[in-house]
Amino acid sequence: MIWAFFFSFCSTIGFSILFHVPKKLLPAAGLVGGLGWLTYTYFIDAGSGSILACFAGSCVVAVVSDLFSRIFKDAATIFIIPGILPLVPGAGMYYTMLAILKGNVDETASIGTETLLMAGSIAVALLVVASVIKLLVMIGRNLSANQRP
Amino acid sequence: MINQMQKKVLMLALRAGELMMKSGAESYRVEDTIARICRACRIPNVEVFATPTGIFLSLDEGSEESDTHTFIKRIKGSSIDLTRISRINHFSREFTSTDLSVDAGIVILEDIAAGKPYPLPVRLLGAGLVASFFALIFQGSYPDFFCAFLAGASSYLLSVFLDKLETNLFIRGFCCCAAATIVALAMFAAGLGSNLNSVIIGSIMIFLPGVALTNAVRDTLAGDMISGTSKGIEAVIIAVSIASGVGVTIKLWTLAGGVF
Repeated sequence: MIWAFFFSFCSTIGFSILFHVPKKLLPAAGLVGGLGWLTYTYFIDAGSGSILACFAGSCVVAVVSDLFSRIFKDAATIFIIPGILPLVPGAGMYYTMLAILKGNVDETASIGTETLLMAGSIAVALLVVASVIKLLVMIGRNLSANQRP
Repeated sequence: MINQMQKKVLMLALRAGELMMKSGAESYRVEDTIARICRACRIPNVEVFATPTGIFLSLDEGSEESDTHTFIKRIKGSSIDLTRISRINHFSREFTSTDLSVDAGIVILEDIAAGKPYPLPVRLLGAGLVASFFALIFQGSYPDFFCAFLAGASSYLLSVFLDKLETNLFIRGFCCCAAATIVALAMFAAGLGSNLNSVIIGSIMIFLPGVALTNAVRDTLAGDMISGTSKGIEAVIIAVSIASGVGVTIKLWTLAGGVF
């Protein structure tokens, strides 16, 4: 588990270098990726399917990114883009490809569908978290506006 | 007649938008930044429409004798650069909250545009880090770590080279992933490494369309359907190019009598 965190932390920092994340934000971006992958492996270990695990991981990435964007006063994109990448199903894509090469239609369909759904679950997770945060911020703003005389 | 002041504001706003779009910002962020810069210069009627391939901006000073002016900026090519997005974000905030002059703004923007990405050796190290640690995540052993590092770094080097030639998305994804697979297969054939799958997965991770995917969702969420769909298509094309690059290489390798 700790190793999983460390590995994904390092690879997210690698992505951050490729995408030119500002130097002082590199560790924070790595942390986002590490936490997302940690959630993913936790859910997998707990016996859930990879799609739910991917959804949970992406939710964590989105929430932590939003938190960091407020702490460091920077755009959330800077953390979300590198943070989400470990969860993008590259392995699923590769195994789908292998199944196609073997000419195994059943396997292609099952792995391919799972890969597509994983990519979809990342998208949905980002969407849900962004909407909820927007809603919360709006409610918070209304409350603080009402409290003022 | 357009007055010179207005023209400068336009140039400034469009340049900022162009830089952000090229660096991989979402459409609504670009539109927001352009509109804010224009409003800060006391141009009340601003309409912006930003897509990944072009920005349309039209503005009107609102006085009796003023005309409406429309400008189009075509955007070609892109390279993800999050430092640029962050700096332009700060710049637009500073520009709107303080009375920075338009000329000074243009100077700052050009400075941001001239900012270089990390030097090539550092980026190669980054690509190597991505590939090698992903090989470990997918049950690779320590020899695999080094194989993946080499495969990742060399395929990234190829992608930098192809970028200079301005090849299209598909060819770039296809060639880079084919190169990564060839390097991995060759090292495997030479007796290095034990888990070929993990090495290949690690090296193709570098080229995955994660940015296109996330931005497609965020654009769609913000109601920018055209940007969202075009980014989504971009993600699909990149994914197909990666899969076909790896697939064709493995097929040719086995046809040529290589072990897989």
